[in-house]
Amino acid sequence: MKTELLVVGGGPAGLSGAIAAAKSGVKVLLIDEGLDLGGQLVKQTHKFFGHQGFFASKRGVEIAKILKNRIEDLKVDYMLQTTLVGFYEDAAVAYSREENKTYEIDYDYVLLATGASEKFLVFKNNMLPGVYGAGAVQTLMNQYGVLPGEDFLIIGAGNIGLIVAYQIAQAGGNVRAIVEISNRAGGYEVHANKIKRMGIPILLRHTIVKAIGKDRVKGAVIAKVDDNFKVIKGTEREIVADTICLSVGLQPSIELANQLGVEIVYIPELGGHVPKRDENMRTSKRNVFVAGDLSGIEEATSAMAEGYIAGYTIAQDITRRDLSEKINKYKEELVDLRRGPFGKKIRSGLEKMGIHLPSGGYRTDLQEDFGPSGKLRAIMECHQNIPCNPCEAVCPTNAIDMGGNINGIPHINYDKCVGCMMCVMKCPGLAIFMVQEFDEYSIVGIPYEFEPLPNVGDRVILMSRDGEDVGEGVIQRVIKNRKDKTHVVYVAMEKGLEKVVRHFRVPSFEEDKIVCRCEEVTKKDIEKAIAIGFTDFEELRRYLRIGMGPCGGRTCRLITMGILAKKTGKSIEEISSMNLRPPSIPLPIDSILRGEEK
Amino acid sequence: MGEILQRRIKRHPILEFEEKETITFYFEGKPLKARSSDTIASALIANGIDIFGWTENGRPRGFFCAIGKCSSCLVVVDGVPNVRACITKVKDGMSVERQIGRGAVWEEKR
Ligand SMILES: Cc1cc2nc3c(=O)[nH]c(=O)nc-3n(C[C@H](O)[C@H](O)[C@H](O)COP(=O)(O)OP(=O)(O)OC[C@H]3O[C@@H](n4cnc5c(N)ncnc54)[C@H](O)[C@@H]3O)c2cc1C
Ligand code: FES
Repeated sequence: MKTELLVVGGGPAGLSGAIAAAKSGVKVLLIDEGLDLGGQLVKQTHKFFGHQGFFASKRGVEIAKILKNRIEDLKVDYMLQTTLVGFYEDAAVAYSREENKTYEIDYDYVLLATGASEKFLVFKNNMLPGVYGAGAVQTLMNQYGVLPGEDFLIIGAGNIGLIVAYQIAQAGGNVRAIVEISNRAGGYEVHANKIKRMGIPILLRHTIVKAIGKDRVKGAVIAKVDDNFKVIKGTEREIVADTICLSVGLQPSIELANQLGVEIVYIPELGGHVPKRDENMRTSKRNVFVAGDLSGIEEATSAMAEGYIAGYTIAQDITRRDLSEKINKYKEELVDLRRGPFGKKIRSGLEKMGIHLPSGGYRTDLQEDFGPSGKLRAIMECHQNIPCNPCEAVCPTNAIDMGGNINGIPHINYDKCVGCMMCVMKCPGLAIFMVQEFDEYSIVGIPYEFEPLPNVGDRVILMSRDGEDVGEGVIQRVIKNRKDKTHVVYVAMEKGLEKVVRHFRVPSFEEDKIVCRCEEVTKKDIEKAIAIGFTDFEELRRYLRIGMGPCGGRTCRLITMGILAKKTGKSIEEISSMNLRPPSIPLPIDSILRGEEK
Repeated sequence: MGEILQRRIKRHPILEFEEKETITFYFEGKPLKARSSDTIASALIANGIDIFGWTENGRPRGFFCAIGKCSSCLVVVDGVPNVRACITKVKDGMSVERQIGRGAVWEEKR
């Protein structure tokens, strides 16, 4: 096979590179080992930050489709389920799994966009099935519709950990906790807030010590750490979970770049070993380019921009046409994407390659005014400088502005806000709420992406920003958003609560779930008993008669201990020092007497 | 069998999944159902199978990255070892076996 440009990797970077080059008249062959084009995008069900030019507020899965369509419209040749296995002399060798056949590819230029792989973490029993990469769990649930467990523990509160936790909840799984070794969640505050308001604990300064289980994960021991990230003895405790998701970072997949002999440098800010490249994504070899996570762990938006820059630069080389206008446009995009606080790491990483990027130049002050009480209006809880502006773009009355730069904190002009809630539905961070106060009560409109949607009139439990239950409310209106799928649910509540309520949950059967069938003890009974001070399994047993029925505690013991462990934070080992008294099943007295006779 | 239903996502607020499990494949000789969109890995997990093989030292192994990067998910497919279960589509009639170490089939089990 012969091509002018060989693109390895069909994620956002590779696709954009292929699009740019093909549009400029270059013959392109794209190779990806996955089942479909899109790379990581095919599993991302959340809406992306950014601006319209880079599909802001669209979900990753939709972006993958758009890019794929462009590739097809441009008639770019691509091969799926095909791995580029090696570069030899002047030909590349690809292996197609479907055909069980290798291909030799003759190329003039190559764009490597192989992405990154998830880092592993060292702890005891980390090999057990049930310890998975967070991205792997995301792939399984969002691409194939399979949830590999019921109770999940997430390690790492960066964006991936936070996003995957939220998506597990959307798929119907329980997220027990997110464990984070540093003293703050590294991901965007808006992503962390979505988790917090659901009542999922983010345990800061904690780490995983070991996974529990013989053939597969049954739980984990976690512990607090000191300033040097060392486990503090005596703080270990168990969490019941069947799946442990590791989201402790990504590392660029540099194998092919290395084979091609381009210069590789070690820059921790970019994710470790990365190919050295210039502003046009050209490596130390004239005809070898890189883009996306391979050139530094970042985001899909920057991966696309880098892909375009590489694609147009290659096309400029091959066609000898001046494409600098297009190239510069995407360079400017990158400057803006990386200007803010979250671009700091990338900026200092690139500085080490001799690429200097400016910072600052956007609004940082938060809006103090929450608008006139009594008016139906949007409340924006977007407090970090994220390069993102769909709220400003969608507002029909121009009430919202970013202060002149996409990285600015959004402010809203309450004279202009008409309460249309378009921004609530668009905000990728689900960080905008509607509020209105009446004489007797208040309402809060909450962006909601869970199944099933509640019905008008349903009683719900109101939850605060921190996920605490703060009272009961009634569903007042449900605005369905069939296209974007971020619905707005209005809940009526006691006046004053509108300042704290940001989520709700449907009590469903959770509250009258029977734990002990023999004595008809419910989950709520147990939680109440724990709340009033019965914090030991034996005490609970005597107080509620749980486990004292004919089954001898077979059905309820573990569940009770799980609830106890969750509520008290004690380890199951600690709790398990119970005394299981004989007999284990009720025996007829005469059978015992007969036995004594012998 | 109850577990199979549990692990397939039934309702999702954003996505829609194909419903039908139309494919039959064989895992260690036992017939199992899968969807035509499944990889071997997703089909095994959906069927409640988390152990894909064993290391040479007898440690159970499952998948890890699910995108073909880590080689933790190697299985024996129709007698051929070292197939990455996470990026290989499951096919009707396919025979999948657990792999030990670098390529042997787990004999003891059968
Ligand atoms: C859970 C999660 C959440 C994220 N959230 C966001 C977000 O909200 N916003 C955002 O902008 N970004 C987000 N990102 C980041 C974004 O997905 C990545 O930065 C982006 O996908 C990188 O694009 P890429 O094209 O470099 O790599 P990838 O998307 O990883 O694509 C690489 C492709 O290369 C293929 N490949 C690799 N090696 C070979 C080979 N040898 N032969 C053939 N093919 C090969 C792979 O199969 C893959 O398809 C998230 C990432 C994750 C994991
Ligand atoms: S799970 Fe990593 S290669 Fe399959």
